[in-house]
Amino acid sequence: MSDAGTTMSSTASTSMLCARGLRKEYGKEAGLVRAVDEVDLDVAQAETVAIMGPSGCGKSTLLHLLGGLDRPSAGELWLAGQRIDGMSERALARLRREAIGFVFQAFHLMDELTAVENVELPALLAGRSPRAARRRAIGLLERVGLADRAKFLPSALSGGQRQRAAIARALANDPLVVLADEPTGNLDSEATLDVLRLFDTLHAAGQTLVVVTHDSRIAATADRLITMRDGAFIDETRLTGGTTGQLSALAGLDG
Amino acid sequence: MGRILLICRLAERDLRRHPAQALLLLVVIMAATTVLTLGLVLHGVTSQPYQQTRAATNGPDEVAYLSGPTGPHESPETGTRLQALVHSQVRELVHAPGVIGHSGPYPLAGALVRALGLTAGAEAEGREERPAAVDQPKLTAGSWVRPGGVVLERTFADALGVRVGDRITLNGRAFRVAGIAVTAANAPYPTLCYSDAGGCWAGPNVPSSDMGLLWLTEPDADRLATSANPLTTYILNLKLKNPARAQALANRYDNGSNTAGPSLTPWPGIAAADGLLVTGEQQVLNPGAWVVGLLAVASVAVLAGGRMAEATRRVGLLKAVGGTPGLVAVVLLAENLALALAAAAAGLAAGRLAAPLLTNPGAALVGAPGAPSVTPSIAGLVVAVALVVALAATLVPAIRAARTSTVSALANSARPPRRRAALIALSTRLPPPLLLGLRLVARRPRRALLSMASIAVTIMGIVAVLTVHATADEPIAGGGSGLNNPIYDRNQQVLMVLTVMLLVLASVNTIFTTWATVLDTRQPSALTRALGATPQQISAGLSVAQVLPALPGALLGIPLGIALYLAADGGGLMSIPPAWWLAATVLGTLLVVAGLTAIPARIGARRPVAEILRSETA
Amino acid sequence: MQQEVVLALLAKEPSHGYQLRARLVQALGPLGDAMNAGQIYVTLGRLEKAGLVACEQAAGVADRPDRKVYALTAAGQQRVAGWLSEVSWPKPDLAEFHLKLIAAAAARLADPVAMVDAQRRELLRRLRDAQRAAMAEPGRSDAGLLLEGIVLRLQADLRWLEACERNWTGRKDQP
Repeated sequence: MSDAGTTMSSTASTSMLCARGLRKEYGKEAGLVRAVDEVDLDVAQAETVAIMGPSGCGKSTLLHLLGGLDRPSAGELWLAGQRIDGMSERALARLRREAIGFVFQAFHLMDELTAVENVELPALLAGRSPRAARRRAIGLLERVGLADRAKFLPSALSGGQRQRAAIARALANDPLVVLADEPTGNLDSEATLDVLRLFDTLHAAGQTLVVVTHDSRIAATADRLITMRDGAFIDETRLTGGTTGQLSALAGLDG
Repeated sequence: MGRILLICRLAERDLRRHPAQALLLLVVIMAATTVLTLGLVLHGVTSQPYQQTRAATNGPDEVAYLSGPTGPHESPETGTRLQALVHSQVRELVHAPGVIGHSGPYPLAGALVRALGLTAGAEAEGREERPAAVDQPKLTAGSWVRPGGVVLERTFADALGVRVGDRITLNGRAFRVAGIAVTAANAPYPTLCYSDAGGCWAGPNVPSSDMGLLWLTEPDADRLATSANPLTTYILNLKLKNPARAQALANRYDNGSNTAGPSLTPWPGIAAADGLLVTGEQQVLNPGAWVVGLLAVASVAVLAGGRMAEATRRVGLLKAVGGTPGLVAVVLLAENLALALAAAAAGLAAGRLAAPLLTNPGAALVGAPGAPSVTPSIAGLVVAVALVVALAATLVPAIRAARTSTVSALANSARPPRRRAALIALSTRLPPPLLLGLRLVARRPRRALLSMASIAVTIMGIVAVLTVHATADEPIAGGGSGLNNPIYDRNQQVLMVLTVMLLVLASVNTIFTTWATVLDTRQPSALTRALGATPQQISAGLSVAQVLPALPGALLGIPLGIALYLAADGGGLMSIPPAWWLAATVLGTLLVVAGLTAIPARIGARRPVAEILRSETA
Repeated sequence: MQQEVVLALLAKEPSHGYQLRARLVQALGPLGDAMNAGQIYVTLGRLEKAGLVACEQAAGVADRPDRKVYALTAAGQQRVAGWLSEVSWPKPDLAEFHLKLIAAAAARLADPVAMVDAQRRELLRRLRDAQRAAMAEPGRSDAGLLLEGIVLRLQADLRWLEACERNWTGRKDQP
């Protein structure tokens, strides 16, 4: 539970997610590949952070490290003040159950379960009663706009609907932070808009969100945009901004 | 030509890519072919050594038991009246049509033998010291009868543990063991009394299953007779011109139970009783072979099913590049054929090596029979069975693969899991490991059924073995003599071999089913871990998924095993094994299944989640 | 304001200037708010001069622009028909930025990569605004569709800028 005596800066101690010197390597010596190279990251509560970069730059690996799905080769990782990089598999599993929600590019819904059964699964794993889990699942599906499709199998849902169901599942146990790995990677334009809107509402509701994407539209919804290349952060931007007046020019309404 | 080459190459590559699976399939088919070979070889080995003994001892074609009337209400004839009766019977028989030689009549006394602290019953045949014309037992140790010196039949001597020179008492009188011999005129211990019309009585308290044969001088035999146990029977050995007519001659003198004349035993009857040692083994080996065979088929089905996903995908690839469904099926068949042929060869070799251990007829008959031959017909049958198994293993995947459209075969590498809404709803009420386990079972109900069947077959075999034990342990009325019963010993050996094979097959089955399940559920398991399940919960779930079908299978196996024993034994005495044996078996099975599952489950649950998910979507 | 657009708007029926403006604003949504109020009358005047539009005086006050009723002439109608059947697409304006980068690099006046980054940031901000506006529009509004187009264009431009960044970063490493 306690962080082995390492001190954190005061700003880091208030952040929801904090990484210092995070590294992930594969292979040895000549074949050594640094997927994630000395990454420092602070994500404040209720903040949305987008990480962009070309494919193969390590952003998905970074997200897996942040979510405890993979172990870092070096570095420290804190979640809500708790040190998590050295935790056992069991403790990490509990963490994923209670504090982290994950959204995947490939949705990863169980094919043989209906939408509501998929969404209630994390709650059941956490030991909630079936009734409570079911109630919460239905509520979440309403929140993402899938209330009328609760009893549908994933094969009967469109890509966008599946991803929304996956997002609902990620929210099942009221996580501290939601990590999304290319959430719109497999979606068409309209489905992407649905997911965008959803993320917007989550953001407005105060959910901490870390999104990995190479879709600039998703990135544009974030408070902070981090650019990654070859495993390291190379740029960070705070997105605040202009007015719609500037857009007229883009539309060709000049003069 | 090119196509055949292609098929061979594809088959070989695939086998090389999955050596472990290929090896498992080989082991499974080999177990079946070995047992099959053993069974078939045993069939052929019954009469050979007997013939050798017959030749060596100039065995009789007919053995006549001469006595007075032996009906239930008659008291047996003794003394001079008996002598007169015997004489007239001898005269009649010696001059019967077809009889060309004889020896005897020899007196047959019942004796209670005590040797080295053991007690047994025996038929004591009084003989001349000079060799007889028909049936002169062949000595394997020591010398022939002399006053005060007895010769024991070899198996009997082994059972008692006596050697030449030891002291024994017969009906209280002291004798020495002068020699040990074999004969073709009687079946050996402990089957002495099993040949047709053999008279077997030594006195009221000796069970006939423990009777042996010994020879002594005629005066000694006469002296054995007491008032309580008088001499009532004489033996006459006959040689026929046409030995094949022995049964016909015996039938002529068969007067039913009220015998007021000689009763004849033809030599085939003796040969059959002699072969009981081996027949008894067959009685165990045949049902055992069925059980092992069933289990082997189940294992093959599991193995083939485990490779189905991959087979479907390969079929898709072949079809996409222009292979016809026929070609596809042939490729699938080629691999399994190669394995089956190898397994058949290995099984034949193993069976040939093991058969002498089982068919060595023991001490009773002269000469080592040599390795029982694996005749071409046996070899052909075993190979045919192996090929059929290979075909069966290929058929279902081949048909399904050929029917699936190419696109779906490529895209969807496995059958999509089934959905059982009721089970899913039920599982939500259970704690996480049971929840996961139940859902795993629901995903692949056919595999669960196959597991259940395998366990049922295994338990069936084990319970049958236990029933044998329980029945043998029951004390026989009158008390056992403590002698070794070679039939019993031999059967125990066979049973042990079968049980070991069963357990090996069952273990292979369980481990492979678990492994296949682990592979199959790698992605959902990783996903469930990403959602918060601990690795321990996942492996517990996998164990539950294996144990859940195992329980009904084990319970089903108990009545099946008892039924198997009844079917094999053909209505002898049977005592059901005690309840705690059965309970221990079931419990032990469940524990072993859970344990065997834990290993592949643990291995599967240790990989980092990200790796698995990444590789699945890549 | 594109002259042809105003012509096309008149094709439905003769209208007052303020009616035309209202229709434009409705079609453009939030973008239309920023439009200059008098812009349309300037355009109408030009069109009148070119003979594509004729002006009928409404009864009432003379010479006040907003009381005039404008209508298409025959030439105007022809022009509209021709314009509607055209399939040319607005020109992209990438050459300017591209040359800007090359010139800066050649004269060593500025770091091209930094320039690309700055431009990227700006486009991202605009993307954010356009997206916000698009999401604020109800379902199938015309304005929403326009904003979607802006968003997608910006996205495409951003992709190109990412390629520029990769390219120019590589060049930096070379002598």
